[in-house]
Amino acid sequence: MKVKVNDVELELSPGTSAIDAVFAAGYDVPYFCSQEYMSPIGACRMCLAKVGAPRKDRETGDWILDEETGEPKIFWFPNPMATCTTSIMEGMVVDTLGDEATKAQRGMVEMTLINHPLDCPTCDKGGACELQDRAYEYGSGESRFVFDKRHQEKHHALSEVITLDRERCIHCKRCVRYFEEVPSDEVLDFIERGGHTYIGTLDEGLPSNFTGNITDICPVGALLDTTSRFRGRNWEYDHTRSTSLDDCTGSAITIDARTGRIERIKAALNTQVNKSWIDDGIRFGHEYVSADDRITMPLLRKNGKLEAVTWEIASAFIAEKLKDVAPNDTGILIRADATLEEGFAAKSLAAHLNTKQLDHYPRPASSVIPTAPIATLEELATADAIFVLGDVTEEAPALDLRIKDALKGVAPAPLMPHGVPIADLRLKERMPRKRSILTVAAPYRVNLMRHAGRAVQYAAGQEARFIQVLADLNDGAKNLSAEDRNALGMTVTEARDFLKAFKDASNPVIVYGGFVLASPAATNSLNALAQALGAKVLAVGPMANNFGLEALAVLPEGNNGYATMLAGNVKALIVSGLDVAQDAQIAERLKATELLVVHDSFHNATTALADVVLPAKTGYEKDGTTVNLEGRYLPVNAAPVDGGLSEDLHGVVRNLGEAMGVRLEGRSLRSSRRALGNTLDLDLNAIPLEGVLRDAPAPAANTGTENDATGNVLLVPSMARTEYLSRNPHLRAAVGDSAIVMHSANAANANFKQHDVIRVNVGGITRRLSVRFNDDLPENLMLVPVLPEQPAGLSNVDLSQAELETIALEVA
Amino acid sequence: MSTAVADTPKPITSRKDPRFEVTMYKYVGVENAWTLDFYQSHGGYETAKKVVTTMQPTDVVNEMKRSGLRGRGGAGFPTGVKWSFMPPDDGRQRFIVCNADESEPGSCKDRYVLEDDPHQLIEGMIIAGYAIGATKGVIYIRGEYYLAYTRLYDAIRDAREAGILGDNIFGSGKAFDLILHRGAGAYICGEETALMNSFEGLRANPRLKPPFPAQAGVYGLPTTINNVTSIATSVHVMSKGADWFANMGTEDSKGFHHVQLSGPFNRNGVFEVPMGITYREIIYGLGGGPKVEAKAFIPGGSSCPMFPFTDEYLDMPMEYASVAKAGSMLGTGGLILIPKDKCIVDALYNIVRFYAHESCGKCTPCREGVSTWMPKMYQKLLAGLGEPGDLELIEDVAQNIRGRSFCVLADACIMPVQASIKHFRHEYEYLIEHGEPMYKQKSWWAEE
Repeated sequence: MKVKVNDVELELSPGTSAIDAVFAAGYDVPYFCSQEYMSPIGACRMCLAKVGAPRKDRETGDWILDEETGEPKIFWFPNPMATCTTSIMEGMVVDTLGDEATKAQRGMVEMTLINHPLDCPTCDKGGACELQDRAYEYGSGESRFVFDKRHQEKHHALSEVITLDRERCIHCKRCVRYFEEVPSDEVLDFIERGGHTYIGTLDEGLPSNFTGNITDICPVGALLDTTSRFRGRNWEYDHTRSTSLDDCTGSAITIDARTGRIERIKAALNTQVNKSWIDDGIRFGHEYVSADDRITMPLLRKNGKLEAVTWEIASAFIAEKLKDVAPNDTGILIRADATLEEGFAAKSLAAHLNTKQLDHYPRPASSVIPTAPIATLEELATADAIFVLGDVTEEAPALDLRIKDALKGVAPAPLMPHGVPIADLRLKERMPRKRSILTVAAPYRVNLMRHAGRAVQYAAGQEARFIQVLADLNDGAKNLSAEDRNALGMTVTEARDFLKAFKDASNPVIVYGGFVLASPAATNSLNALAQALGAKVLAVGPMANNFGLEALAVLPEGNNGYATMLAGNVKALIVSGLDVAQDAQIAERLKATELLVVHDSFHNATTALADVVLPAKTGYEKDGTTVNLEGRYLPVNAAPVDGGLSEDLHGVVRNLGEAMGVRLEGRSLRSSRRALGNTLDLDLNAIPLEGVLRDAPAPAANTGTENDATGNVLLVPSMARTEYLSRNPHLRAAVGDSAIVMHSANAANANFKQHDVIRVNVGGITRRLSVRFNDDLPENLMLVPVLPEQPAGLSNVDLSQAELETIALEVA
Repeated sequence: MSTAVADTPKPITSRKDPRFEVTMYKYVGVENAWTLDFYQSHGGYETAKKVVTTMQPTDVVNEMKRSGLRGRGGAGFPTGVKWSFMPPDDGRQRFIVCNADESEPGSCKDRYVLEDDPHQLIEGMIIAGYAIGATKGVIYIRGEYYLAYTRLYDAIRDAREAGILGDNIFGSGKAFDLILHRGAGAYICGEETALMNSFEGLRANPRLKPPFPAQAGVYGLPTTINNVTSIATSVHVMSKGADWFANMGTEDSKGFHHVQLSGPFNRNGVFEVPMGITYREIIYGLGGGPKVEAKAFIPGGSSCPMFPFTDEYLDMPMEYASVAKAGSMLGTGGLILIPKDKCIVDALYNIVRFYAHESCGKCTPCREGVSTWMPKMYQKLLAGLGEPGDLELIEDVAQNIRGRSFCVLADACIMPVQASIKHFRHEYEYLIEHGEPMYKQKSWWAEE
């Protein structure tokens, strides 16, 4: 359709909003209520413009012509139109610069400001505020409002992580709409009406995993991230665009740091991955980086005590010790959120030390690279049948939001010259959701089941059987045994309906997480079922870079992996980012090693045994590359954070190499990238922000063994990284302590009350857990969040051995 | 089907015309008129039965179109045309919604139908529902209308028990039932999309149009919304025929309407009148003339711009086109008389305060302009603190609000303000100059 904006004529597709036409033409109109990826509602009335269009004669169907010019006559609308809710029409003319439009805009800025406190000098948003910018650009510079402004609460804690200043709010409704439209968690609304309207909740807190995004989209300083409130001005922050290493989705983030501290994390735009949303675990889970007890110096054990030394001394000590260790007696264990380049460095070190004992962990028993074709997140967001096994809302929250996109049935809009369309008219408030396309299966009731047409609860640990029965049914099995029916968690008819709907779908996607990955049999049969159904799959690994490290083969040769190393088969162990000694038995064995080198950011049970402790960079301080669950290579960039003498694995390899007198490959980012660039045929220095999607490599052979699938406690994924929770005070206050969730009958037997804090041995590791009741759980199943050293799956706990640490307060 | 209404050359445009008879309000004020027995013994539900059992829905819609009935809620959209907007039946549930959230200050015409003749509305709902293919009807009634609510509640129950509502109405095999929903005291719920939100249990904010209710209404399903009077009128259009109806009124506005007289009349009340009647006949004939000297009247409820009390406006016929041409709206027909001794600024403050209180807060001009700024400026003037330039400021702010808001509530506040300044500018100027109003009388109650 031809549209003319001021003096620019352009051709746009039908259905485009007039505001996007204006921006596409290179002009600007102010707006507050419209927000990319959300419905236009026309509430702020800022984007007013004079709009006209030619008309057709009702009878002849010809354009009505202007008598003077002979051109189609433009009929102007009697009032200025809100361009965000106006769809373009053939021959439409938009005037944003004329007197009528500018007067309307100026009048609206004035009205927007009459109840706004104008406390910009003390406002955290100052300098990055849409209202401030628009008031300068479109306002008259003075107010004719001489009365008292509205006075409301200025420091309202909406939740532990979000503070609301009700006076600054301009009622654009972005946050209210966001909760309904994006995560479908309706936890916020307007209260009161007219000039008294304010944002609020009727309950305590904001029970959603995605609350922080409202601080990004708030056009003023009304909704603020509590972790960064009053901590800096916008122009003082160093903004680093990076990729989150919190989960395997590779969500884009901006790290805002000031004077060597991370002050806040904001969502960045990656249209292919997380759009412009991130979960609260990523956003608020950064405080640990600058915790007081961070290890900032290399430490060497002298006379039983760790003492601060230089890297040279620490490295020389390690090199000296390693001389005495036989080649295959050294183990190298790295964390699965190490970057690809770090993985290469670790491999290079292992090669130099001539050891086959190399592994990354947490690494599930099955390969995280599926054998079935891998879906992209874009395909997930446009899927017409989705089968989720596990709890993606906790495990990979970005997937949860993309699944909710699919339920809306609106394909992502193509990018316009100015980026994501500002007002996508296909999106509406309170859109009906196609719940029927979503099936969610898990051993307990997970959050996403609220939105699922089919919610299936199977017995914990029975993933392999559950999937096998589905596969049998798909192969036309007629007579199922009673156990098989039981394992299904739904009726046979329901299962057949589900399989048929999946088969008939044109773009079906299966998403599976840690529960399935814990069982190679389940993973294999699910991939086979996916191929039989013509579905693409997404496998949610336990950490950010499982996909990349497996593809790079940071893997043991033969049976030399994590479990073997810790079973006492190494003389020297270099372990990075993993607190393996939490397990008392492993700790006992580690005491017998000749050399224990721990590369970590904080003291823990393993550093307590270590001979050498090397300070490690956190995921925000590294440069590198990570590969997300689609196989997308994404750039990780270092923010200017003061981590003392912390180094990533390149630093470890460089220093050890120097002490051993060799120039090792992988001694620096450049070195790793040079080597990797050749093998991958990919220039890692030039990866664009939205990433590079590569064909999936062949999965590594499943080295893990089938677990025994018994136990009374299920280790479940958590959005908030459990190992850092105690050093993330705000996030911890918002999501609560790590909890053991159980049926109240279970607790009654052990004599626990809700919110008691207990110490209990879970699968060998003593965990400090707060007791929470959920009577929807089966009585024989308890839930405990995973640790890096204790990935998803069944385990055992003996409640009778639990030690009561803190008794919950009696609430009268 | 129609009782061929006479070969009268001249349509009825006066209540004095001997051919005019009160139809819709015939039993208003009659004891027990709200019972099913009374209604049926006076010919009730015969029309609905005839329509449902013998007519095609399209015929009903065409008959309504032919009658020329225009929506009586205020906007005056032709009812038959609105009914024809419903999309073809695709198996989805469809709704007919009756807007009984009568809250416009000065209006009370629906109240007496709801209280004294609720079965008439039910019969109209059956006809309307049949015409648009809806098997569910919703009556959204103003929360304050408690008596009306109980009467309507009982009436629906009785009709259901008598088989008039239910799965098999009049033995035709067709289903129709009603949902009665009480509002919670918000004027904005009279706006059709806000009403639908409120009915669904959501916050009563107006929705974006398009999609119009016929495409996506209640719960996103095809919906038609009509005013109580429009729906009740359809009973008589179908009973006596479109010709009978069209024989009343003028070319532009056909049929009968109801004027509700408030203010210092000698006789206040609600009167059924043929369209085209002059305001002089309404004010002097029906209302018995002003009790005290009047200076202005509002023709259609508080949101309509006022007219000065002069011959030019008094001799104007009551029809949509003439009133619009003179710069106001027919609205609901709630005629409010303003005495000469009432300070116009104070009178307008009363109106502004109402809209300020009722603004839903969704859009900026209404929330900040109507709900915050306007009443404060009036307070300033009335407190005697007015300064030169204040009147121009009110005018400019009014201009910035009008036509820029999301729904028409802001316009409903601004139009009377602009009209009052247009006709009574000198009173504003006097107040600003002297710090006290030109007319000081505050209350008219003491005299009585």
